[in-house]
Amino acid sequence: MTKLLIGDNSFIGVSHLSQERARERTENLTIASIVDIIKTASACGATGYTFSTHPVNLQILTELKKSEKIQDRLELYPVLPYAQAYVRLANEKGMRGLVDETLSKLPLLERTRTVLQTGYSTLRLDVAGILKSYLDIELTPYINAKPKNSNLQSVLLHEVATDLCVGLHNMQFLETFAQQIKDKYHVTPGFVTYNLVSFVKLFQEQGVSLEDVLIMTPFNKIGYQMSQSLETCESCLSNLHQGEVIAMSILAGGYLNLNQALDYLRTLPHLSGIAVGVSSTTHAKDTFTQLNLLPKQEPLSAQHREQAPR
Amino acid sequence: MKISVIGLGKMGLLHSGILNSLPNVSVASVCETELFLSAAAKIILPKGATIYRDAQEMIDEEDPDAVYVTTPIDTHATIVENLLRTKLNLNVFVEKPLAASSEQAKIMCDAASRSRGVNMVGFQRRFSPIYRKAKELLMNETLGRPIFFRAYCFSSDVLRDGSAWRSKRASGGVLLDLSPHLLDILIWFFGDPSSTEAVKKQIHSREVEDYVHAILSYKSDLQGHLDVCWSVSNYRLPQVLLEVYATNGILTVTDDFVKVSSSKQFSVDDEESRIYHKQSFQVPIPFLLTDPEYTLEDVAFLEAIRTQATPETSFVQAAKVNTLIDKILANST
Repeated sequence: MTKLLIGDNSFIGVSHLSQERARERTENLTIASIVDIIKTASACGATGYTFSTHPVNLQILTELKKSEKIQDRLELYPVLPYAQAYVRLANEKGMRGLVDETLSKLPLLERTRTVLQTGYSTLRLDVAGILKSYLDIELTPYINAKPKNSNLQSVLLHEVATDLCVGLHNMQFLETFAQQIKDKYHVTPGFVTYNLVSFVKLFQEQGVSLEDVLIMTPFNKIGYQMSQSLETCESCLSNLHQGEVIAMSILAGGYLNLNQALDYLRTLPHLSGIAVGVSSTTHAKDTFTQLNLLPKQEPLSAQHREQAPR
Repeated sequence: MKISVIGLGKMGLLHSGILNSLPNVSVASVCETELFLSAAAKIILPKGATIYRDAQEMIDEEDPDAVYVTTPIDTHATIVENLLRTKLNLNVFVEKPLAASSEQAKIMCDAASRSRGVNMVGFQRRFSPIYRKAKELLMNETLGRPIFFRAYCFSSDVLRDGSAWRSKRASGGVLLDLSPHLLDILIWFFGDPSSTEAVKKQIHSREVEDYVHAILSYKSDLQGHLDVCWSVSNYRLPQVLLEVYATNGILTVTDDFVKVSSSKQFSVDDEESRIYHKQSFQVPIPFLLTDPEYTLEDVAFLEAIRTQATPETSFVQAAKVNTLIDKILANST
């Protein structure tokens, strides 16, 4: 594993064991204590931080920047959109309200160009234009807040958006996202998916390369969040010759302990990294010290290039 | 199998994504009257899918195998009644709750009774392995006889005065919007209550209730207390909790786990307390978009069409939730 990423679930009130536990845990954490956790994890071998564009993460990055030391270095892997914020907005204001509120964030010029220029019945949306503006609005505050020694390493599309596109066989949106991340931010585009098999199948059927694509997807021995099944996901990973795969949900949302997770992860080929949440400095130290002992694997694309005939 | 979807809101998108991923199923058409959403539909939906502004026209033109109605609650009855009047063998799925009132629910049940199609309502928690386990534990009598229950359903959806569309009368208030899943679970577990008493309160809304406390009484002597509120702060997701106090122990069920705490005489797998997390119930899921029960629910609907079976959450069953909501509100102060 070359990428050992700290996940942000426990910092933003997500627990897959119980919502009560999530609330209690978040109440016990402050921005300062979260920064301590991240720094401890980093000192014990964590190479990066993957986080959703939740306002708490903006505060965390700002605080990390303030207390940054020269040796601190953390790669950043933002995941967007923070889907729950949009669900909440839709719940509060309805779909029409959600659309209005989201559009109102776009620059006036862009709104006019993409939405208002055409008549009522001939409205055509400029996907690339809207997506570009949306990414700027959503990402810029986080990029501005990032610590000096930390590099943006990838920008990932949240699993709800990725998997909706996969379900609807909408390759165009996924490609547009990937292209914009490459063109504007010059980093590897990433996708979080709970449907690795269907995701890979869509790319292959559409003849789109997974080279230079990062895939973050659950891998745990009980098959939690692994559609279609544990076996099909493992087989898909074994047969994958392109793309970098980062395993998430390795503890199956807190259901498994770290040793169980590590025993399973050792059996998997082709993993470039792991993302895991930690909720205290002790937890961070234990987790990343152990993860750091896992054998290092080269990313898939590098392995593949080496095997290819010259 | 060709599917048409009416209403491309949050639930319309969710079902479209799941259905279109299933083998031999395609979302062939969508009806959306809202301008921006219908424009968005053109770029989101699979190539070849047609976007309509009129539901009847869509059904006439497309002749789908099934239609999903995922529009605002108060539009369900008119849409479904019209569709079933012109197309008698149409298979219809309606997102929960069935209707905005028991009167409207009855109109829909009557229309469905004249139809040869399969009808189902989106009470997906009945497909959640956790709630199924809870039902099994209650049914197998190891817990003994239920004496009383406490339940709540909370969310943070309405936290400001008058800001929310839910505060308007058309949305129906917290009982119609937030509680149907919990009420359906209660009906599934305990049947229909014989009487209800309730108090309701407006916190931020002027037209509808934001909080309801209800007491449900059953012929079996069981009694239950229920709190429903969408103005509780710090709930990232809506949360349901049900605690059943029975003669031999306590059963607690949430979306994340089901737990049995027992008296000394009672044991479950030789442990005094046993908790089953959602992770304990892993079944292969053909496609996962948010929670697995949405996929299981859609698969169950398609299977019911194939076998011409009556789904567990048919219109008739789902109408009981509307009856209970009206009853609670009618007997409230």
